[in-house]
Amino acid sequence: MVFTDREILETVRMLELETLDIRTTTLGINLLDCADPDLESTAEKIYAKVVHQARNLVAVAQSIEADYGVPIVNKRIAVTPISLVAAACGSHDLVPLARALDAAAKAVGVDFIGGFSAYVHKGFTRADDALFASIPEALAQTDHVCSSVSLGTTRAGINMDATARFAEVIKETARLTADKGGLGCAKLVCFTNPVEDNPFVAGAHIGIGEPETVLSVGVSGPGVVRSALERLGPEADLLAVSEVIKRTAFKITRVGELFGREAARRLGTTFGIVDISLAPTPAIGDSVSDILERIGVERTGAPGTTAALALLTDAVKKGGAMASSSVGGLSGAFIPVSEDEGMIDAVRVGALSLAKLEAMTTVCSVGLDMVAVPGDTPVSTLMGILADEMAIGMVNNKTTAVRIIPVPGKGPGETVEWGGLLGTAIVQDPGRFHCDVLYRRGGRIPAPIQSYRN
Amino acid sequence: MGKRFITAEDVRRHGSGPILVDDQTIVTPQAAHAAQAAGIAIQSVGGAPYQEPSPDRGPDAPRASGLLSKMPEPDREGAAGTGVIVTAVGRNRPGILAEITVALGEAGASVVDISQRTVEAFFHLVLTVELRGETDFAGLKQRLDCLGGKDDYTVRTMHEGVFRFMHRV
Repeated sequence: MVFTDREILETVRMLELETLDIRTTTLGINLLDCADPDLESTAEKIYAKVVHQARNLVAVAQSIEADYGVPIVNKRIAVTPISLVAAACGSHDLVPLARALDAAAKAVGVDFIGGFSAYVHKGFTRADDALFASIPEALAQTDHVCSSVSLGTTRAGINMDATARFAEVIKETARLTADKGGLGCAKLVCFTNPVEDNPFVAGAHIGIGEPETVLSVGVSGPGVVRSALERLGPEADLLAVSEVIKRTAFKITRVGELFGREAARRLGTTFGIVDISLAPTPAIGDSVSDILERIGVERTGAPGTTAALALLTDAVKKGGAMASSSVGGLSGAFIPVSEDEGMIDAVRVGALSLAKLEAMTTVCSVGLDMVAVPGDTPVSTLMGILADEMAIGMVNNKTTAVRIIPVPGKGPGETVEWGGLLGTAIVQDPGRFHCDVLYRRGGRIPAPIQSYRN
Repeated sequence: MGKRFITAEDVRRHGSGPILVDDQTIVTPQAAHAAQAAGIAIQSVGGAPYQEPSPDRGPDAPRASGLLSKMPEPDREGAAGTGVIVTAVGRNRPGILAEITVALGEAGASVVDISQRTVEAFFHLVLTVELRGETDFAGLKQRLDCLGGKDDYTVRTMHEGVFRFMHRV
C-alpha cells in the first residue's frame, strides 16, 4: 500500500509536533471471585489475580508502542468495585485491600489501578460504609490506587447523605496527604451516572456487566485538534470548525482502535471500548483550553466558552463514533483545570471562575476536574459543590463527576504544584455564602421526571 | 470446577500430604510461602509441581479475540509483506539516501515507493518499504534507529497500520 507524502507527513507531524498519543491502555479485571470471609485471604486473592491477569500488560503495551511508533502514556488496571468484593469479609477496615491493589500495580509496573470504589446512589451496604471509612487512609498509604464512588443516577436521584459523607472523605484525604498538597484527592472522584467501562483514572473501574477481563483504550490528542483549527483560521464558519474537529477526531480515534484491537489480540482478551476523549496534559500545546480559544473565545471562561465546548465535545463524539467499532467510557473533552496549561492561565488572569467551570461541565464529557479550593473550605460548602454537579448529571442524563482538592494551608489565588501529569493549580474561591441548612437536611433528592423536558 | 485460589489460610487448614490443585487454580504467593515453610508440596492433579496457569481471560475471550481478525479494516490493496513507513528528516549532505537504503537492503526490506524534498539546507525523505518472509520488523527498526545523529538526521520507522487506519476507511 502506498500513501501520499502528505498523508505520511500529516501523521508524523501529529506525533512529532502535536503530541498525539494513546493516553491509556487499561485492562479491566473482574475480582468478584476474590470474595472471601477472611480479609487477609481476600487481599491475597486480589493481589494474586491482578498480577496473574496483568503480568504481560506493560510488555504488550510497550511492544505495540515499538511497532507502531505511537506512545502509550499510561498503562492502567481497572477492577470490580472493591465494596462488592469485600462484602463477604465483613471487615470495617478495607485499607489492606487497597494495599494489595497497590502492591499488585507495582508488581506489574502499571501507572494506576482504579476500583477502590462503591455504588451508593441509593444507599449504603455495610461494605460501602467500610469502604467510605477506609478511603482516606487507603489513598494516603498507597501510590497507585484510585477511588471512585457513585452518588447519584438519573434513575435513582442523588443520595445527599452519601454526598455529605463524601465531602468529609475528601477533607480527610486532603488532611492525611497535606504534605503533598492534598494529592490524595487527585486520586478520588465521585460520579453521577458513572460509566462501567471507564479506562481513565481516577474513575476507572469495571462494572458488574463487564466480562472477566477486558482491554480498553483511551485516546488523546488535543494538540492535533488545536493545530488543525489553527490551519483552518479565524474566518471559517462554525460548521467548518465542527467538520475539521470531526475529521481530526476520526484520525486520532483510528489509532486508538488499531491499538485496542492489537492489544486485545496480543493479550488474548476481549476488546472493550475506545474512549474518544480529548485529554489535556500540562505540556505546552496539549491543551483543550487552547482549542476553545482557537474556536473563538479570547480566554477560556469568557462568554461563549460553554457554546464552544459544546461544539467541541459533540464533534469529537461524531468523528470518533465512525472511527471505532466500540465507543464507550466518557468520550468527549476533559477539562481538568490543573492538567491544562491554558486553563491554569485562564484562572490566573481571572477569566475562569468556579461558576463558569460548572457551566462548562454541563456540556463537557465529565465534570469539575482537578479543581483546587482553600483547605479550610467547610464540609457543607464542599457538599454543595458536589451536589450541584451531581444535579447537572442527574437532570441532563449525563455522566458528571467532581475531583476537587481542598489544599491544606492554601487560600484563594495561591498556587499548588503537584507535578507530572497532575500539573499546577491556582486555588479557586468557592464564595463566602454557605448551604448549611441544605447540608443538615440530609436524605435523598428524588429521581427527576423524564417527561416534559424543557 | 476446582478451587479458584489457594490462600495461606487454605494451607494452614490443610492436613498432611500434598495439596492437589487443578489447572485453573491460582496459588497466592503467601500460600506458596506458607506451604514451603510447612513442608507441604503443592501439586497439579497429575502429580507435577504446581505451575501458574496461563491467564483465563473468561468465557467470552476466545470468541471475542478470534473475532478481531475478522473485523473489517482498511484494505491493504494487495500488499503481501509487512508494510513499513520510514521517514527521515535532518540536515542535507551527500550519502544519506545511500546509508538508509543500504541498511534497508541488509535487513532484507524492499523499497516500494520513495520521495525526497530539500528545503535550503534541510531534507525530508519518505520511503514505503515491504518486509517479506523471515525479515523482522524489530530488527529493521533497530538498524535504522542507529543511523544519523543529533546534528545530522533522524529516522522514524513505523508499521504501516497507523497510516492505513488513519488515512483509509
